[in-house]
Amino acid sequence: MKGIVFTEFLTMVEERFSLATVEHIIEAAHLPSQGVYTSVGTYPVEEMVKLLQQLSARAGVAIPDLLKAFGHYLLGRFVRGYPGFFAAHASTLDFLSAVEEHIHVEVRKLYADAELPRFFCERVSDQTLTMLYRSPRGLADLAEGLIRGCAEHYRENVRIERDDESAGSGTQVRFTITVETQAPSTGMEASA
Amino acid sequence: MSDGDLDVLQRALERERKARRAAEDLLEKKSQELYIANSELRAWSNRLEQLVAERTHEMEVARDQAISASQAKSQFLANMSHELRTPLNAIIGYSEILLEETSDAGHPQYHADLQRIVASGRHLLMLISDILDLSKIEAGQMAVFYEDIDISMMVHEVVETLRPVIEKNRNRIDVQAAPSLGSMRVDITKLRQSIFNLLSNAAKFTENGRITVTAQRAVGQPVDTISFAVQDSGIGIKPEHMRELFVPFKQADASTSRKYGGTGLGLALTARFCRMLGGDISVDSQIGVGSTFTLRLPAQPTDRDPESAHPSLAVAQDGEKDAAQVGTTKSSALDGRSRDREAVLVIDDDPMARDMLSRMLSSEGYEVITADDGEEALRLARDRRPLAITLDVLMPKLDGWAVLAQLQADRDLRDIPVVVVSILSERKKGAALGATAYLQKPVQREQLLGALLTQRTPSIHHVLVVEDDPDCQQLLRRMLEEHGHPSRCAKNGREALSLLAQQIPDLILLDLMMPELDGFSLLDALKADPRWRSIPVIVVTARDLSEDERRRLSQDTEQLLPKGALGRGELLMALRRLSSKRSTGGASNSDVNRRPGKA
Repeated sequence: MKGIVFTEFLTMVEERFSLATVEHIIEAAHLPSQGVYTSVGTYPVEEMVKLLQQLSARAGVAIPDLLKAFGHYLLGRFVRGYPGFFAAHASTLDFLSAVEEHIHVEVRKLYADAELPRFFCERVSDQTLTMLYRSPRGLADLAEGLIRGCAEHYRENVRIERDDESAGSGTQVRFTITVETQAPSTGMEASA
Repeated sequence: MSDGDLDVLQRALERERKARRAAEDLLEKKSQELYIANSELRAWSNRLEQLVAERTHEMEVARDQAISASQAKSQFLANMSHELRTPLNAIIGYSEILLEETSDAGHPQYHADLQRIVASGRHLLMLISDILDLSKIEAGQMAVFYEDIDISMMVHEVVETLRPVIEKNRNRIDVQAAPSLGSMRVDITKLRQSIFNLLSNAAKFTENGRITVTAQRAVGQPVDTISFAVQDSGIGIKPEHMRELFVPFKQADASTSRKYGGTGLGLALTARFCRMLGGDISVDSQIGVGSTFTLRLPAQPTDRDPESAHPSLAVAQDGEKDAAQVGTTKSSALDGRSRDREAVLVIDDDPMARDMLSRMLSSEGYEVITADDGEEALRLARDRRPLAITLDVLMPKLDGWAVLAQLQADRDLRDIPVVVVSILSERKKGAALGATAYLQKPVQREQLLGALLTQRTPSIHHVLVVEDDPDCQQLLRRMLEEHGHPSRCAKNGREALSLLAQQIPDLILLDLMMPELDGFSLLDALKADPRWRSIPVIVVTARDLSEDERRRLSQDTEQLLPKGALGRGELLMALRRLSSKRSTGGASNSDVNRRPGKA
């Protein structure tokens, strides 16, 4: 997993909780890397799982909810880091349709070793898109958070239906995303 | 701040420090990777440059090889031209002699066969010339000679040349080319051959129909466009054959060649000539209704340097090559001041007789002027100084005897040979009054031509033939002697010089390609010696001349006769032209006659 996911995760934990929480979960997780992450490095995904478990235990928040919140947070980070990708598309559904074909292609050029999830999109109507998430890491919750963050960026209200096609393992999940009305004013009400 | 807080901060700091170091290590590693990748790229780039250089070199070598192969091909073609035309010349020449002798001696059984040999020989010659022309065009070696021409006159000349062919298929011809069209600057040889090809095709593929030749000027910028349209009411062309019309050797279909003859090169050449002259050719045709071919040419050369056109030696060649294609005719379209010297004046009050004589003569390459009474005849004789005259005796107003007497009384006209053609049998009276020959009507074609050809040209007594090919030498010698010109022969320039030292001839017939001392060197030697400088030289060559050679010859010689085209008629006409030039004070050496055919 790319280091940026770890560094952003720890930054979020520090902001939403505290630096002490960060130190605690690192220590409690007994990580081979000892929590020394750089955004340009690559680290085992298991470390992320351990960090999530520790945070869940300490904060009393379910892992899926943590992942959704983190996805939402991470998207904001992507918008700041890579504004060009977002400027190139006019709406949530347009952007999501381009993730697999265009954005991940560019990401792979930058990071040849990136292991990216697959997204298969189908535009059902102007308002609706189905997006099939498939990844052995089973991080469909993170994907959902990212989708919500994306809708917020484009100031659109979306309804997301999830259909887990992998018996609850989260490795293959079909999202049906429908744009409802015009944008919410602002704020973070979609997040955890 | 509590100890616990400090402890947390310290650990966080330590973690960040390590992360920074890890990032630096990663950066260092990436830098090295970048450096290696860069080096590899540079190596690839060098390798590519080297590859490009190698390929470029290979292509240069290939290009040079192609150029030299092409030059070798051109040289081969020029040599082949010589090698093919030389024996062909002998075949045609001897066949013509045999043809004449058998008809004189009354062996009609050989006559038709010999005529076929002559016709086939001329056909073969035409093929060789056309193929050479095409090759020269493809090789970019065909030169263009621009000169100013009178459009209307040129069109009428071509039409007159082909009139017998047109009328043979009972076609009517209509010419719309007014003198008000003015002039254009063009390579007349190529333009004339183009119109000739179109018109002879129209004549070939039309029976009992109508052929219209139209020349028009469209005013334009930067130059006017002159269009020449040949329209016929003939068999027409199938749409699927239109595309291949201008492709060499492709006739509409095989059955066409069998029925109508031809090589399939005429239109291909015409199209290429048009393009060389900066114009184009188009065709419009409907089966059973007819075809219209239209040439459009700029009235002035546009993108070429007009100075490249220079007065060049005319090649008295092969109008007859296309004539062979149609079987009966050869071109006599001549231009320039000397035209009238080629003309024969036909004097007869009977339109039928005039027409018949005209056809016989024009089919042999003479231009024909006609007069229907004696007074008109004398006026034309003075104005145009014809090469020869055919004279009817029984005419209203001034009769033939009176005309003959007046001709003989005129110092300027006295030398013009007169063939009396009459229903009367008064051979002696004719001879007494100075007629060169006397023919009784009805006149046979061969008789008439024989009478014109056998006139001895008065001012040329002795001819030196310089020619290395024994067959050609013999042929020239025989032709000359048959018509009263004794000759001596030399087989190269060196022999010619020793003969010249013994006796100065009235004329030299000169081949160019000879061993030891070639024709060009002999010309230099002639120029260098004041005794020899003024001897007229007619070059008889089978060689495909370059532009430079032609220019050089135009200065140093009287006339250039391509060997293949050298029938008896051409040689004698050249001799007669020369003698009439001498007797009238003559034109300058460079004022040579231009005849249609290859430049």
